[in-house]
Amino acid sequence: MQPSQTHQVQFTGNAKTFFGIWIVNILLSIVTLGVYSAWAKVRTKRYFAQNTVIDGRHFDYHATGGQIFAARVIMVLALIPFMIPFVNLVAIIVLLFAFPWLLNRSIAFNARMTSFSRVRFGFEGSYGRSFLVFMLFPLLSVFTLYLAYPFVARAVHRYTIGGHRYGTARFAFDSGVGPFYKAFLLAVGWAVLALVVGFVAIGGMQLFEEMAYASATGVNPDPAIMVRFGLLYVVFFAAILPAAFIYQAFLRNAVYENTTLEGGVRFRSTVTPVQLIWIAISSAVVAVLTLGLMLPWARVRLARYLAQNTQVLATGSLDEFVGTEAAKVTALGDAYTDIEGIDLGVAI
Amino acid sequence: MARLQDHDGNLLTDGVPLGIEQIPGGPLLVELPGDWQFEAAPGSDVSTLPGPRKGRRLSRAEAWHPRLALVVGLCLFAAFAIWRWGLSVLVAVAMWVTPESVVKVIDAGNMAVIDRTFADDSRTSAARQKEVQAIFARLREQAPPAPWGEYRLLFRDMPAIGPNAFAMPGGTVVVTDQLLERFDDPDVIAGVLGHELAHVSERHVLAQLYRAGTSYLLVTLIAGDPGPLLQDMLREGNLLLSLSYSRHHEAEADRLGVATATAAGYDGVALARFFEALEEDFGADGPSWLSTHPAHGDRIERIRDMAGSQ
Repeated sequence: MQPSQTHQVQFTGNAKTFFGIWIVNILLSIVTLGVYSAWAKVRTKRYFAQNTVIDGRHFDYHATGGQIFAARVIMVLALIPFMIPFVNLVAIIVLLFAFPWLLNRSIAFNARMTSFSRVRFGFEGSYGRSFLVFMLFPLLSVFTLYLAYPFVARAVHRYTIGGHRYGTARFAFDSGVGPFYKAFLLAVGWAVLALVVGFVAIGGMQLFEEMAYASATGVNPDPAIMVRFGLLYVVFFAAILPAAFIYQAFLRNAVYENTTLEGGVRFRSTVTPVQLIWIAISSAVVAVLTLGLMLPWARVRLARYLAQNTQVLATGSLDEFVGTEAAKVTALGDAYTDIEGIDLGVAI
Repeated sequence: MARLQDHDGNLLTDGVPLGIEQIPGGPLLVELPGDWQFEAAPGSDVSTLPGPRKGRRLSRAEAWHPRLALVVGLCLFAAFAIWRWGLSVLVAVAMWVTPESVVKVIDAGNMAVIDRTFADDSRTSAARQKEVQAIFARLREQAPPAPWGEYRLLFRDMPAIGPNAFAMPGGTVVVTDQLLERFDDPDVIAGVLGHELAHVSERHVLAQLYRAGTSYLLVTLIAGDPGPLLQDMLREGNLLLSLSYSRHHEAEADRLGVATATAAGYDGVALARFFEALEEDFGADGPSWLSTHPAHGDRIERIRDMAGSQ
């Protein structure tokens, strides 16, 4: 057994270079009334993929703007039946049945269009499993008042990660349900605590009574009450937003920890909810103050943070691993990656 | 001609590169015959290398340079132009290509949904219905023709909606029993119906539908993925803008409705009494920037002003 080597993921992009790409994307998108946005999306994805580097090798993204545009045209055309009364009922049923298949196609498209060191990723899904994890299980968890939701989250990750491959090497994910419950309960716990504390601090009950009284008697409510009503809105955001980041941070760490890639590659993620929240809020404030001009900086900043907190652990050198996969893929020929034909590229 | 050699000087491939490409800030990639790709070290000079430069003009435009300030200015101007004129053009084109049959289906479908959910058959007597239909017929003669289909008036009992009337794009106007019970005065009825006819003739319903759809699509396409938080802010802002558009339509329908009712021989300004009664019954509404309709007080004032100017 060779000793395991840790490779730090690096993000080599910067706000300066991304700004040019971003602003030109926007100008061309506006001038073409949105048509160019398909090409803009590809350009942006390529920038972030090419600047994500492990051990001197970078990712890349290979979809063409034409593919994305065609997929969007199909999606817009497919929306038409949903606008016609009664026909839309049939359309919804068709969509429900097509949904697992569409999701599989979308994941597969994104995987196949992404490469690391010129070796492509791939995804093989199954309609049945996709139906279970994306539709049936989430529906069933409703009847448990979402208390069983962590089981659903684990099933989703087991399916999506397990279906991916790099070259010919398969990814796998296995984990106890514990980490999923930890992420879920911490997030829900925070939301409930913040809501209760905030509600009591503002005097929520009394507030609702006064509002009910005002609307029943037709008296204009006191402006102070409207301000407190606004505060209630703030409390709501202070409860829900951090909860989302808490969940994402713990989930990401747990998922990376328990993911393996055939050939002895493991992953590690060390993001923290506090830093994610700080980045999101401060980026939003800066973006608003600069009328959006600092948005590229915000995106680069998030990408850099995520890269800094991601490591790849390989037994032996990554060079050797990538070389082996490249050789295997070449031996199989391109037919292996192109065999499924046209891609819908639904960006879900 | 380019030659690619390994460390020991063995020839891997040679020939004219198939493409040379570099996204600003990214690696410089040289595609070579035989499915080889050479990645040049950052800052390498490959100007003497033959072969097509993929996306060179785009990359040059994107490079960090003072002229990007010009691009920013153009973006701001283009965004303003789209918001000010482009959306209206897109909406007009969409309405122009909308066939009558589709609009009729919208009317029929909406009516079917309303009948199933919160409307019952009208309890208004046949005699009263005939009276109101007569008012409607007189107004119809004075109003511009319906753009899709014909004007028609329906009666429904809708306790959940209260005293109100509404119009659909194909020309269907619905008036509630609650409105007919609350208001006896033919002038008020004429004012309200005139207002609804104006919504139809000015194609307000489809204009709002198309405008909301188009601007949502454009915001999503152009802003791309601005990240968490900001995505929501952009969409909420878009919604507030569309509310202002709706208030503008209500004011326009008030103005045209009063004119139609007056032309048909009614006292159109009686519409103001309708809003006064609503205000009496239900109190003043919330802050106006959060509403699809202008505040009652503003509308009453504006309608009375019209009387002064006539």
